Amino acid sequence: MTLNVSTAAVRVDGLSRRYGAIRALDAVDLTLERGITGLLGPNGAGKTTLLSILATISEPDTGRVSVLGLDPRDGTERLEIRRRLGYLPQELRYHRHFTVTAFLDYVAILKEITDRRRRAEEVARVLAVTGLEDRARSRIRTLSGGMRRRLGIAQALLGGPELLILDEPTAGLDPEQRLRFRELLSGLPGDPAIVLSTHQADDIAAICPQVVVLLQGRVQFAGTPAGLAGTAAGRVWAADERDSRAHLSWRGGDGRWRHIGEHCPAGAELVTPTVEDGYLLLSHAAGAR
Amino acid sequence: MTGPALHGTDAAAPADGGSRGAGLARTPRLRIVLGLARIEALLMVRSMLVLAGLLAGVLAAWGWFWLNPVQPLWWWADWRIGAAQLFLAMTVLVAAQLAAGRPRRDAMADLYASFPATAATRTLACLAGLAGAVPVSVLLAGVGVVMVQLRGTIGAPSIMVLAAGLVLVIAAGAAGTAIGSRFPHPLAGLLGALALFLPTATAHLLPVWSIWLIPWHYFPDQLGWLAGPLTGYPPAGGHAAELAGVAILAAIVALAVTVRSARARGLLATAGVLAVAAVFFAGAVQLEPVPAAELNHLAAEIADPGSVQHCTTASGVRYCLYPGFGRDLSSTEAPVNEVLALLPVRPSQPLTVRQVLSVDFTDTGLTRGQPQQQVSQWTAQTRNAPGNTAAASTIYLTVGEWAAAGSLTDADFNVALATAGWAAGFTPAGQNMPRPGDQAREAIAIWLAILATRPPASELQQGVQWRGLSLRRGRPTFVAIWNYPGTGGVSAAWPSRQPLPAAVYLMAKAMTRLPEQKVSQVLKDRWATWLNPRTTDAQLAAALGIQVPSGPLPPYPQP
Repeated sequence: MTLNVSTAAVRVDGLSRRYGAIRALDAVDLTLERGITGLLGPNGAGKTTLLSILATISEPDTGRVSVLGLDPRDGTERLEIRRRLGYLPQELRYHRHFTVTAFLDYVAILKEITDRRRRAEEVARVLAVTGLEDRARSRIRTLSGGMRRRLGIAQALLGGPELLILDEPTAGLDPEQRLRFRELLSGLPGDPAIVLSTHQADDIAAICPQVVVLLQGRVQFAGTPAGLAGTAAGRVWAADERDSRAHLSWRGGDGRWRHIGEHCPAGAELVTPTVEDGYLLLSHAAGAR
Repeated sequence: MTGPALHGTDAAAPADGGSRGAGLARTPRLRIVLGLARIEALLMVRSMLVLAGLLAGVLAAWGWFWLNPVQPLWWWADWRIGAAQLFLAMTVLVAAQLAAGRPRRDAMADLYASFPATAATRTLACLAGLAGAVPVSVLLAGVGVVMVQLRGTIGAPSIMVLAAGLVLVIAAGAAGTAIGSRFPHPLAGLLGALALFLPTATAHLLPVWSIWLIPWHYFPDQLGWLAGPLTGYPPAGGHAAELAGVAILAAIVALAVTVRSARARGLLATAGVLAVAAVFFAGAVQLEPVPAAELNHLAAEIADPGSVQHCTTASGVRYCLYPGFGRDLSSTEAPVNEVLALLPVRPSQPLTVRQVLSVDFTDTGLTRGQPQQQVSQWTAQTRNAPGNTAAASTIYLTVGEWAAAGSLTDADFNVALATAGWAAGFTPAGQNMPRPGDQAREAIAIWLAILATRPPASELQQGVQWRGLSLRRGRPTFVAIWNYPGTGGVSAAWPSRQPLPAAVYLMAKAMTRLPEQKVSQVLKDRWATWLNPRTTDAQLAAALGIQVPSGPLPPYPQP
């Protein structure tokens, strides 16, 4: 399944990657344009593997990757990709004895910002963008989980990357922090291409013009959030009683049952599907296969 | 992340042409290394671990140079300063291991792998960041130098030896970086530090030829007993070169873990072979024997000190000191002159105060590689050297044992006591003499030494102790003895190095409670009588109008 856009930031052809007997990615074809792309999938779907390949950290077993028009297999081009890349891995423990500024300064050098004045400006800029100015001199160990996540994004933003790869950036954040994160991402200067992975369908619906659903190492959907929601059109009902024939059903806050399935429960009314409904339906379909 | 990975791969230089490679910027690797190294150096210099190592080194130096009552000699002390650097080296090793292992330990390896700067660049920066340990090491050396200098040390420090201490710290840091690049767990650094320390603690179990395997330990025992530095003992240049080789080797190992390109690996392998060769060569240099000419000269210095010493006569006393020790003359003269000033009558036999050496030629560290016959010859040559046997009118001061210079009152007291012994007419041949403790002149000599140097009364009294002699019917017998203050290193006809009976000191102490003028008058009136070995404490006490004291003594030990 391919999303063909002329200004592609990432192009992937026949990408496969195994870890022993486990097939993490299975013949993935994908083209991602500039703007924010949400990568949706359950644990073990291959999201982190795909992002780490895009971030030039690991290599695929087979297939071709083009990032910002460059081939990561070539040493020179891989270096250039890294120069234009901002990456936030899924889990970071940080150097907890560093101050926020010292850590960003350190990372800025690793990103080849060697001029001291420019580095200071750049660190100040990302601190402002992520709202961490007040904690610039704080030790990282004193920051809350949300602040550390913002720090992670701040380091990714250093150098004004053309491509931001964020692996589950909202994991562990409370609703307010997630909202702030959405604000932050939506208002990033320079309009970089952003690929973020998440379990949270509402994050996707809120900020991603594009969404890719990865299930069992395969791309199950690539399109817009509305398109993903649309895959469940005509298959989501609200009813007063539970229907055993539904693929998935749960009781909502209003006390009514929400059903996803092929059959209309008795007395049910058809409702407008959400991104989450579309995702759940795809997950169910993939599981059934 | 497992499987085929691009972690830390060295990107090739950007292409000059080509459709996609065109216009790509060259990596400013040197500037990255310097920028990261500056941060690593700052972290190193501010590290609590490193500061703890500095403190441990300073404490060790303080113990060696300040608590030790013996005057340090520079050709010994500079090696000790190097040994103090071992404590700093251990903590620098741990700090460097923590720095090199930081990305993996903090689960940041994936993030770092996504940066343009490679793992090899970071390792290079960690190695360059060891520059942060340099000012700390220099500070430790400086503190050691000041401590030694304040003790009125003879000679001058060897820059090579002091520099070897600095190289030791850098080598340990490079080893820490190598360990951390492969093993990020903090325990790895601690084990590395232990590996640095353990051979030092157990070096005495190793044969002398194997000492080059642990160059950071090299510390020759007899340095402190020499009258000056001895060429090739120990070979400071070889020692420093070996440490430098070890540092380079460790750096190569650290880089080999992270470098991926075949060309860089080839260069590292070549450098590694050269470094190993340098370490072996430096080790071989250290095993070279001390030049026989140097040892010949040393044996001559010991057997016939007069041939090299400078002698000066002052107040009728001849002082003979080894070259370089001239500035100790005034501090040596002071207690002697004080005793002379108190004497009613000066002996007819002139007094000589002479430095001697006590060097063991059977020590294989000193004479390794020399023919056994030659070693035996040196041993025989020095067997009857002055100082090995007591002389009636000569006080011998053993270099490295006698604490000369400054305010070392114990040493002054020892010299004063030996001078008073000479004044009281003691001779080394003590046969046919009443047993010690029954001669009035013993108490008189101690009284003279006390008046000449005024040591703290409490210190003198502390010397009164009980000593177990033998078991009689299963029960020990104790006698009260007096260990006079002093550190040894003074050899004279009297007192011998054996402790005196406590009664002698108690009598002298009772005399000090009397008016000095009165005692002086009593002594002056019958000086010849008091010097007679058969004149007893009881007779002296009677003349002074006091009882022979029997205390105070510490409590008799309970069996």
